[in-house]
Amino acid sequence: MSDDIKVDKVFDLKGLPCPMPVVKVSKGIKEVEIGQVIEAQSTDPGSLTDFPAWARTSGNEILKTEQDDDVIKFYIKRNA
Amino acid sequence: MMDEKTRDDLLKLFESKLNEAMRLYLETCTRCGVCTEACHVHASMGQVKYIAAYRAEIVRRLYKKYFKGRGKIWPSVGEARELSAMALDELYEAAYSCTGCRRCMVYCPFGIDTQMLMSIAKLLLVGAEMEPEILTLLADTSIEKGKSIDLFKESFMQGLKRLEDEVVSKWKLEAGETAIPVDVEGADLLYVALAGAHSIIPAAAIFNAAKENWTLSFFEAVNFGAFVGDPTKTKLILDRIVSEAKRLKVKEVCICECGTAYRVMKQLTGKQPFKVSSITEVHARYIREGRIKLDKTMVDGAVTYHDPCQIARNAGVIDEPRYILQHLTDDYRELTDEPRYNWCCGGGGGLVAMGEDTLDFRMKSASVKVDQVNATGATILATACENCHAQLSNLNDHYKMGVDVRFLSSMIADALIQS
Repeated sequence: MSDDIKVDKVFDLKGLPCPMPVVKVSKGIKEVEIGQVIEAQSTDPGSLTDFPAWARTSGNEILKTEQDDDVIKFYIKRNA
Repeated sequence: MMDEKTRDDLLKLFESKLNEAMRLYLETCTRCGVCTEACHVHASMGQVKYIAAYRAEIVRRLYKKYFKGRGKIWPSVGEARELSAMALDELYEAAYSCTGCRRCMVYCPFGIDTQMLMSIAKLLLVGAEMEPEILTLLADTSIEKGKSIDLFKESFMQGLKRLEDEVVSKWKLEAGETAIPVDVEGADLLYVALAGAHSIIPAAAIFNAAKENWTLSFFEAVNFGAFVGDPTKTKLILDRIVSEAKRLKVKEVCICECGTAYRVMKQLTGKQPFKVSSITEVHARYIREGRIKLDKTMVDGAVTYHDPCQIARNAGVIDEPRYILQHLTDDYRELTDEPRYNWCCGGGGGLVAMGEDTLDFRMKSASVKVDQVNATGATILATACENCHAQLSNLNDHYKMGVDVRFLSSMIADALIQS
């Protein structure tokens, strides 16, 4: 979890087949209120292009992206 | 209640689909019933609404009402049907319970293509904004990626670095070689993968083993525009890859293990300065040319192979996976005597992409597939399509089939012999 961002819900999307990470984030973000933040954890390099494009399309906002050796974490604020 | 303008707009969309082939499909059904047992949904669930001819009839009645003289003048004869909100509900039921596998087409004595008729239904649903929202969102995401890829390139390439060690663990590189080349102008082959690491790592190892001059696409192969039946979005998604291939001046575009991606790229891009291949064709070529060698001892157990409908029945890649499997195992078992009549996995047409919303239907509608696999006694169920792999894995869990569902490319990568 990022030190400077309060996360309201975490989604573990590691290892899911295409296109489940985007599908689950699209549905999952509706489980928090507008203005709240979800953390989406992925292992797919394609999510580094998928998630920003999805955020632009759906009107949500990626606050921060973190990559370590195993996991990519997206902090996404629900705006829509 | 549907207003006149909406109806007129939808009928214009209907008319846009009426080419010669479509009119033939709409006018030649004799209701002979040969297609009745051809559909895996009907064979598994046994309801009349899942017979191919019944699905087609829902579209055909609208056609008779608005595009045939007798239907306009005398609509009560010939079962012409008004385009209404209720008709749209029926179109949804027909279109999104059909996986577009075209098994019914190979049984039909006239070759009526139900998938094409369902493409009319899907287009009308798009026009009425009644299509599955998630499929449109996924299509729009793909299109947005094409517009703004320059913003994401660096982080994508950084993400690929994390995979390099795994690629090298499958095929050791020589000094100076790149495990996952990206954006290489003048490469011979552009590989279009999916978002997942499992779609990139084995493929990269095999390309490197074959000494291929290759480069990885920035884009994902799958075309959600085709799933949702929107021709404009389908083309925009395709155009991203076509533009990239032309910019890099590649000779060949190789589509990953994704059935719809391959069929759409192969059949809808028209004449291009590159050829389009499925990764299964490319792998068979490497074996045939002696560019890779495989160790059969790496595959432990009897193997059967599920032909993805969009790659085999609908795009003709049937011999290549079997040629590959001859080099992977001595215990290969066919699912059916004639691969063109193979049962669909039950996950095509966008159903798998719709996730858990369709899970119950997908499980119920594919029990014939489960029976077919179980009858082989195989312990490894190989396939070459992401959609099929996801659906077969769901079936494996749901029906406790006890098989190991594998991607063909992954089996190849694990069996590479490095001399």
